[in-house]
Amino acid sequence: MGRLKMTFKLTLRRKIIAGVLISTLLLTGCAQHNPHTTLYERMGGQPTIDAVVDNLLYRIADDDEVVVYFANSNIDLFAESLATQLCEISDGPCTYDGPPMDRAHQTMGITDAHFNRVVEYLDAAMQEEGVTLAARNDMLGRLAPLYEDVMRLR
Amino acid sequence: MRNTGSSMRRAIVAAAALGAFLAASPSMAGSRILGTGAVSAIEGAAGGGLSPWAVLASTASDDEIGITASATRAWLDDYRLTVKGASINLYDRLEFSIARQTLELSTLGGELEQDIYGAKARLFGDVLYHPLGIWSAGVMHKRLVDGGVPTALGANDINGTDAYLSASKLLFNAFFGRNVLLNGTLRNTAANQGGLLGFGGDQGGRSWMAEGSLGVFVTPNWVVGTEYRQKPDNLSVAQEDDWQSIYSAYFFNKHVSVTGAWLDLGDIAGLPSQRGGYLSLQAAF
Repeated sequence: MGRLKMTFKLTLRRKIIAGVLISTLLLTGCAQHNPHTTLYERMGGQPTIDAVVDNLLYRIADDDEVVVYFANSNIDLFAESLATQLCEISDGPCTYDGPPMDRAHQTMGITDAHFNRVVEYLDAAMQEEGVTLAARNDMLGRLAPLYEDVMRLR
Repeated sequence: MRNTGSSMRRAIVAAAALGAFLAASPSMAGSRILGTGAVSAIEGAAGGGLSPWAVLASTASDDEIGITASATRAWLDDYRLTVKGASINLYDRLEFSIARQTLELSTLGGELEQDIYGAKARLFGDVLYHPLGIWSAGVMHKRLVDGGVPTALGANDINGTDAYLSASKLLFNAFFGRNVLLNGTLRNTAANQGGLLGFGGDQGGRSWMAEGSLGVFVTPNWVVGTEYRQKPDNLSVAQEDDWQSIYSAYFFNKHVSVTGAWLDLGDIAGLPSQRGGYLSLQAAF
């Protein structure tokens, strides 16, 4: 009986390990799913990106703690610049020619709390504009490494 | 046994009431992204259930303080484990935790209890934004309430301290468009069955153990995954096996999460093949 239980347990353990290995393999295999469509296309192209930027700006405008960072900004210029950047990052037909991220956020005193809040606003904006969870995750994953640049000269 | 049951109920009611109160006051939420505080592991630290992770409890970030309270129960074939825990996160740099574990020996009779005092420091990084993820180091000081049974089984000590190094990283869009959370922990420990059967024994003492987990965020609120925890085998009269789980954790918001799991803990204190269910409730602010 003891041996039977032991065998069953080992088989079960092997199944779990196999499951984890298969997931890991799939994980590597699916990292570049559907290579023929760009994220830009999967998001819905420039109309969606423009709508996401507008949606984001409304959320920022409603947040007293974050909106102060835009006190001296030309909002129209900022919106256009951000839309271009999102277009380029998502492999769309744009080239971002604005200031680098560290200089754009220089000596503003941005905290992690502010950074996280804007990340949440952006994700909520994408969700409200109908961007799929997969495309949202893809976009957030491409933007995540910018954290270090944005915070470098804060 | 009756006492433990009613105090557990009180803990659950308190955690639920706290959660409901906190859910009504969103301004008290930490700013880190939902889910990045993980859940409460059975030893009190933020983690996945069986193993501590590198992330710090709650969603407090660099200028915030967070607090969590948790109530956990596991129903195994011949045992029932109850854990009540609490933790504080200071500025996403330091985490202090406390946990009381009670293992009721349903078949053998009696119970084993220990208190665990934990401290974890974030060394560097961030689970979302840093290319290498987040890295933390921690200690857990464990004190058995009554060392009679563990000593009789051959344990050398009734108090002990674990030290661990842990790394966690979220991979965006890694599995069918879903984010995947990876965690690895290396633990230096002499604890038998996590400490409930004392520390060290006739077959060995302190050694390094590996623990790992993998979870998929099906939605931003819901993560499912599996955990594995390597264990020492120090007592010749009570063979010890590695632990594993399959878990599902749901974050209703930044304040309330519920974790369910299926456990396979192997042999415990001479009783073979202990499996069962696991339920944990956490409130955070």
